[in-house]
Amino acid sequence: MSRAVREDVAIIIPVYNEARVIGTVLKHVLKHFKYVVCVDDGSSDASYDEIAKTKAYVVEHPINMGQGAALQTGLEFSRQLPVNYFVTFDADGQHRIEDVKAMLSEIEAGDHDIILGSRFMGETVGMSGTKRAVLKAAIRFSNATSGLVLTDAHNGLRVFNRVVAEGMQITLPDMGHASEIPEIIAEKQFRYKEVPVTIEYTDYSKAKGQSILNAVNIGFDTLLRKVTR
Amino acid sequence: MIIIIQAIVILAALGLVVFVLAGRQTHAVLAWKKIALCLLAVAMMVAVLFPESTNHVAHLFGVGRGADLLLYILTLAFIAYVLNNYLREQREKDRLFRLARKVALIEANERYSISKK
Repeated sequence: MSRAVREDVAIIIPVYNEARVIGTVLKHVLKHFKYVVCVDDGSSDASYDEIAKTKAYVVEHPINMGQGAALQTGLEFSRQLPVNYFVTFDADGQHRIEDVKAMLSEIEAGDHDIILGSRFMGETVGMSGTKRAVLKAAIRFSNATSGLVLTDAHNGLRVFNRVVAEGMQITLPDMGHASEIPEIIAEKQFRYKEVPVTIEYTDYSKAKGQSILNAVNIGFDTLLRKVTR
Repeated sequence: MIIIIQAIVILAALGLVVFVLAGRQTHAVLAWKKIALCLLAVAMMVAVLFPESTNHVAHLFGVGRGADLLLYILTLAFIAYVLNNYLREQREKDRLFRLARKVALIEANERYSISKK
């Protein structure tokens, strides 16, 4: 791994009550990337102060709005930065920098607009059987609504170019954005590719992760949007 | 005869869902809502003045008792109300979130002295 700090990439990290880990995660990410944009989604803990201690940018939502809304805010802020590539990254430290770098070289080849991380093509550490089953069902649902062929939609790790960053408009504020992004890709005909990434499910990230019952909410909102559009 | 009411209620339920979901808040939709409300008020008065009338209407549709028919109508009205409210809530939330995002971005840009391109 090269130790040079890249200045042409913006790392977007939605943060909600991650004070315990965000400092460590940011310290690590900032070693590799100059532009790190955290969106503090109205955290009630010391997340904001932890981010402010570092060199990362922080945009603060006045109220809690959900991860999809935080991503959209991060996106809109990052568009103003002098970067060519954008990365969405989870705050709980479950993604690996090596995967981000591999995805960046993939997108730099120029054949794709957006590279998506997949847990099911790569190695996943510590995922429970139920979670796997629900995620598999979620991807079938997501493929049916978007028309894309993906193996993992609900993965927070994505790398994309400026065309996508300018064109992306996430409207579902909560976790529903994970199903909305493939729909946007299909609609705008972005060239996409999925690559294997490794996710480490620590006890911390498992405790923070969304409940599998939330799949019902995502499904309902996605279908509702289909009817109302 | 029971088939008729089943078909009517099921179709009405689906129609309501589509009507409420697909309906933009145009003047026409709002006007129809008011007309429906007036009709409901008239129907209430008729029903209370002539209790037997609900039975007659119910029989027309193949429902055994007027009370049953009222229950079906009430259920449909309730579903329509819930969906309508849910959608309105989503719309309000969307507006609030857009506003909050604008505030967050303006504040951050000021802090980092980024001027609008």
